Amino acid sequence: MKEYVLDEPLTEGFLKFLEKFGTVRSLEQLKKPYFSFEKEQFISIKGFVGDCNVEVRYKKEFQDLVADYFHLLLFYEREGERGIAKLKGVEESIRDKMKVRMGPSDGNR
Amino acid sequence: MENAQQDTNSPLIYLNNAATTWPKPAGVLEEVADCLRQPFYEPGRTTGDGSLHYPSAAREVLATFFHTGPPENFIFTQNATDSLNHLIHGFVKKTDVPFHAITTELEHNSVLRPLTTLEQEGAITLSVVPFTDNTVSLAAIKKAICPETRLVVMTHGSNVLGSVQDIKPIAEYLKANDIFFIVDGAQTAGHIPVDLSDIPVGAFVFTGHKALFGIPGIGGFYIPGPDAVAIIRQGGTGTDSRTLTHPIGMPERFEAGTHNYPGIASLYAGIRFITSMGLEAIGKKNTDLTRGFIRELKDIRGITIYNENPGLPVVSFDIAGIDNHDAGFILARAYNTITRTGLHCAPLVHERIDGGKGCIRASFSYFNTCDECRAAAEAIHEVAESADTQVHSD
Repeated sequence: MKEYVLDEPLTEGFLKFLEKFGTVRSLEQLKKPYFSFEKEQFISIKGFVGDCNVEVRYKKEFQDLVADYFHLLLFYEREGERGIAKLKGVEESIRDKMKVRMGPSDGNR
Repeated sequence: MENAQQDTNSPLIYLNNAATTWPKPAGVLEEVADCLRQPFYEPGRTTGDGSLHYPSAAREVLATFFHTGPPENFIFTQNATDSLNHLIHGFVKKTDVPFHAITTELEHNSVLRPLTTLEQEGAITLSVVPFTDNTVSLAAIKKAICPETRLVVMTHGSNVLGSVQDIKPIAEYLKANDIFFIVDGAQTAGHIPVDLSDIPVGAFVFTGHKALFGIPGIGGFYIPGPDAVAIIRQGGTGTDSRTLTHPIGMPERFEAGTHNYPGIASLYAGIRFITSMGLEAIGKKNTDLTRGFIRELKDIRGITIYNENPGLPVVSFDIAGIDNHDAGFILARAYNTITRTGLHCAPLVHERIDGGKGCIRASFSYFNTCDECRAAAEAIHEVAESADTQVHSD
């Protein structure tokens, strides 16, 4: 688990971007609206909209593969639709490496 | 981007005392500091002298606190988990033939994992007794017993439900039937009176860093009949160094290596603190805090409390519409209120009470205040009211 202080506060736009990649839950009626992002096998992110602090948890078995994923989300968000496509491509290659690590499953035989 | 440090202007409300108590009494911190300011004194391991041999002094204090002796039957370990592993694996090794063991759904993984490991290795067969109305009864234990039963391992107090088991009749029955009874007192020692002269346990486990107010890294067990358990750790004891076999006398039998002196000093001071304040007075305050907190929670719509009448200062609950991990995060970051979330190392309890998804746990100590409980309840109220959770994904 890591806790980061961002250079700028998290925005609603970033949360909309996250929805393209996983599940976002939000509690908007709190004094400080809360959000959590979950991407299975990758990471979970928790924080408050308008805050610079976020908690990021990495899946232990794949930590070396997903260590940069949070940074990639921040980076590609700036590129809009193009960024979405690029990051989906990066995800694909990470998933391929995960499959190799997990070994052949009954479904793949 | 840099790694964050928590910074908040509101006072910290610490409600995670079932995990480890905080703060510690000032006397405990002073005793640990004093212990570290001078060379450790232990006959056999030093030529130095000293006024206080912490291991001996702490054993005396433990024997008085638990109303039993001799003090040498109190053994120091790293924690309750270490104690339970010593006892469970030691009993199996001593018994040396496969047998049947019994435990309960209320147990912590420090009981479940050693027993499950032994079951998988074929050393034991295992029955897990369900709880009813938050407790496990003698009748339920009797139902599980068979001719091959040799061991029962059971929690005295649940770290999730806060319920206290009536271990005396169970201990008496098991002793009469020659079944070794290990009691996990990690959650009860320091909260409620435990008179081991009146409860014929095979072994009673305690930990130092919870309600006994010591620091992490110290725990132990009381064992009136040590021959029932094999020695599974051997090493230096500061005595009879010429002999290559490990001593069988107490307490060296179960204590190899240098003691955790600061830990023992903290345990010594923590028990003296409890004795000076009075266990009944501490218990009354904890009860008042717990009941007050539950009263506040019951007024909040959407709260499920899993035991509204706990015997320990432990309240486990859920907020409708909010994942317990999210709720714990919000309470900690937005309200500076520390709890614990998830399965609390007790997976079988959660299978029964919340389908295995876990819950939020608030647990109190003598150092919490009514104002803190009220503030925590208000925070929970605000979080519950906001639970119009929206879930989005593509």
